[in-house]
Amino acid sequence: MIAIRDVSVSFGGVLALNNLTVNLADSVVGIIGPNGAGKTTLLNVFSGFVTPACGSIRAFDTDLLAMRPHQRARWGLRRSFQTEQVVDDLSVADNVRAMLDSLPVTSRSERERQIEKALTYVQLEGKADELGSALNTYQRRMVELAKTLVGSPRIVLLDEPGAGLREEEVDALRQTILGIGEQFGAMTLLIDHDVEMIAATCISTVVLDFGELLAFGPTAEILKDDRVKAAYLGIEEAE
Amino acid sequence: MYGVFLVAGLALGAIYALSGVGLVVLYRSTGVLNIAYGAIGALGAMLAWQLEQMQYPEPVAWVAALLVATLLSVAYGRLVAPYLSYREPVVKAVATLGFALMILGTANYFWVEAPRRLYLFTDTMGFELLDVHITGTRALVLVATLATTFGIAVFLKHTRIGLLMQALANKRELSSVLGVPVIRIETYAWLISGFLAGFTGLMFGDLVRPNPGALTFLVIPAIAAAIVGRLESLPMTLAGGLIIGVVESMSTLIKPIAPYRSIAPFVVAAILLLWLQRNRKLTFSGHD
Amino acid sequence: MTEEKIAVTSESTALPRKSFATFPVTRPTLALLLSVAALILIVPPLLDALYLRVFISSVIFTIAATGIAVLYARLGLVSLAQVALVGVGGWVTLRMWHATGLPFEVNMLTGAMISGVVGMLIGLPALRMRGLFLALITLMGAAGFQILVTGTQFPNGGEGVLGIAVTSIFMPRPVLGESDEAMLRYVCVVAVLCVLFVELNRRTRPGRAWALIRKSEACAMASGVNVAFYKAWGFALAGFIAGIAGALLAATLGVLDATTFPASESILLFALTVVGGAYNWLGLVLTGLLFRAAPALLNDIGVNGHLAYVIFGAGLLHALITAPTGIAGQILEGLKQLTKRRVGR
Repeated sequence: MIAIRDVSVSFGGVLALNNLTVNLADSVVGIIGPNGAGKTTLLNVFSGFVTPACGSIRAFDTDLLAMRPHQRARWGLRRSFQTEQVVDDLSVADNVRAMLDSLPVTSRSERERQIEKALTYVQLEGKADELGSALNTYQRRMVELAKTLVGSPRIVLLDEPGAGLREEEVDALRQTILGIGEQFGAMTLLIDHDVEMIAATCISTVVLDFGELLAFGPTAEILKDDRVKAAYLGIEEAE
Repeated sequence: MYGVFLVAGLALGAIYALSGVGLVVLYRSTGVLNIAYGAIGALGAMLAWQLEQMQYPEPVAWVAALLVATLLSVAYGRLVAPYLSYREPVVKAVATLGFALMILGTANYFWVEAPRRLYLFTDTMGFELLDVHITGTRALVLVATLATTFGIAVFLKHTRIGLLMQALANKRELSSVLGVPVIRIETYAWLISGFLAGFTGLMFGDLVRPNPGALTFLVIPAIAAAIVGRLESLPMTLAGGLIIGVVESMSTLIKPIAPYRSIAPFVVAAILLLWLQRNRKLTFSGHD
Repeated sequence: MTEEKIAVTSESTALPRKSFATFPVTRPTLALLLSVAALILIVPPLLDALYLRVFISSVIFTIAATGIAVLYARLGLVSLAQVALVGVGGWVTLRMWHATGLPFEVNMLTGAMISGVVGMLIGLPALRMRGLFLALITLMGAAGFQILVTGTQFPNGGEGVLGIAVTSIFMPRPVLGESDEAMLRYVCVVAVLCVLFVELNRRTRPGRAWALIRKSEACAMASGVNVAFYKAWGFALAGFIAGIAGALLAATLGVLDATTFPASESILLFALTVVGGAYNWLGLVLTGLLFRAAPALLNDIGVNGHLAYVIFGAGLLHALITAPTGIAGQILEGLKQLTKRRVGR
């Protein structure tokens, strides 16, 4: 369970997040909202790149904000970025291995097992020795995803993972996200503009608008909510 | 006793401060921290010295120094800098190192390391203040520094070109899309910076010594002053330069550290950087 | 799902497309070992006394350049203090020998470790700031060292902390490097060990951390990497290697002089590392040659040494604008094109 309490973030006078309070408990939770609503800012607060002016985030009985950014990753917080961050001149396996480097995994064989499990899960086990530069967009996103799944993840934050992917790739991504909770025991928070993706994967959804909590509840209800539709005016037409 | 060193320190600090201002104005408008700043001034000052040796009238030496420095600066800004305009600041600065090496090599080629004196007409002028004799040159550099810093601050805030320079400082790509004539504005920045380099080179050559190496590495305390100004604030750069100059000069009075007093810029800059980064968690390479 | 390759051109990233990432005995490594073996066995007797010294010096500065390359090629960080750190290593080694008389290798390692610490300390004020500040603080550190060492000079057998005597006592060569020929072989072996040590770092945890940091510090943190630590580690390693170079220089000459370590030399060595090519050992060999052998050659044909600065400065500009992988990168790229054409791909 993640308990977000009164989290506020301001950037030089602009209130990016305004007293956000919400409890997240489902295995996949969506975060939606128009551009500038504060979605990525919220993720940056989780990651530790942004310090909130006030508020707290407790996850699984741990005060997340008390830990330094790289320590949160070790604790089990995982993150993907809007622009995928695969290192070109490391191999796929090394990209994933880098995540394990900082974790107290017991033995070398256990490490390799975890890497293999993650790569097999995203169907890239055959590409383990290829350099990052040789992959296409979908493969790079999958490597980034695999990276989030090694070493006992507790919370996986995904920031628009489907951006730039084709339809069949998005379908595959959908299935991948759905299986995270069951296969790896982690809770997933998913930011995306793709309403179908949100509807298909997220059990409950948070809606942000101008840094404030507009709505929160089971996804199906949220997507029918008039206020949500109003906030999204214009984005619906693009779908 | 203290008075003499204080005055000397203020004069030296004024050179540092004015150089720092030259660096900051250029950096804010172009993203280039010009490590060749000292070298540019060096060539100007050495040329002035040479012309003096050849018995040319002093105004010729002044004009030559200022002109050469300004031209070198603008030449780099128009011919080389554009190739690197979309690279990270550190790469742009490293490129100016290449320019500095070229100028230093040229200067060393023509003027071998040797004891020299540069004479300016202001050396013979002077006045007494509280028992301390202040030469005209020292007074000139102090006044010039204060006036220039103030003048540039006004220029940046209240003239069209100045405002456009500020626009460039904030978002270069955006400015060009909005129709700001980027190259022309940047040229002004290189021009101002080059002129200041020539002037500070002359002053340093007069007050310290006109040697290519020493003049080139005037850029070190200038950078330290600019760092005190966080590469953006002119008043802080001014303060930083003056403080560094005074600390360095007054350290002559403390026997054990006297031979090492020129290390003052490094110490000041290091302390300041440690202070500045105390709350930071990370940098975002490439975009900062 | 169809496989599509996205063209990743070398210009868009600063790094070469394929770095030398496979372990352990690849063709590049083999080439390295063979060249060095050739150098060690065949070349020394062929050189006259002066050029023997010149090449020893070149290899020593190849070692120093290796440290620069760790920071520049792996972390994308600019250090303008490497020659100063060479001086630190040399100073400590000399002081150790004059004080303790221990074998050279012990003094060398001590010098290297202290240089590593100093290297880390110089970078410390700017570890969390933009790369530009880091470059600037190292430049100021180099200038600071120049001032310090001009005042303290290098230990030459005297009393007290600074160990200055009126007549110099020369530190003897290491047992394995008594003659100049033997010394050339000795420094070559040490150079290979340094390069291999850096490679070891690169292929294990530090290397992965560095690659992540270079890509994005945010991503590195999100992957659990302690960014400040691994940057500091890079500086420590670069400093350590500089210290090794300093020790070897002290051993070759027996004494060191403050005029060998002005800030301009640190700038020049960095410039030549970029010009030679920071991403490959061949580039580092070229760096050492350009730094020491080229000026000697120019001197022989009557060209003023100062003009070397002009040429190298221009070379740096050229490298930054058009050839980021340096001369070595261009050579290797050219070879690759040649072999491709032969195979008919």
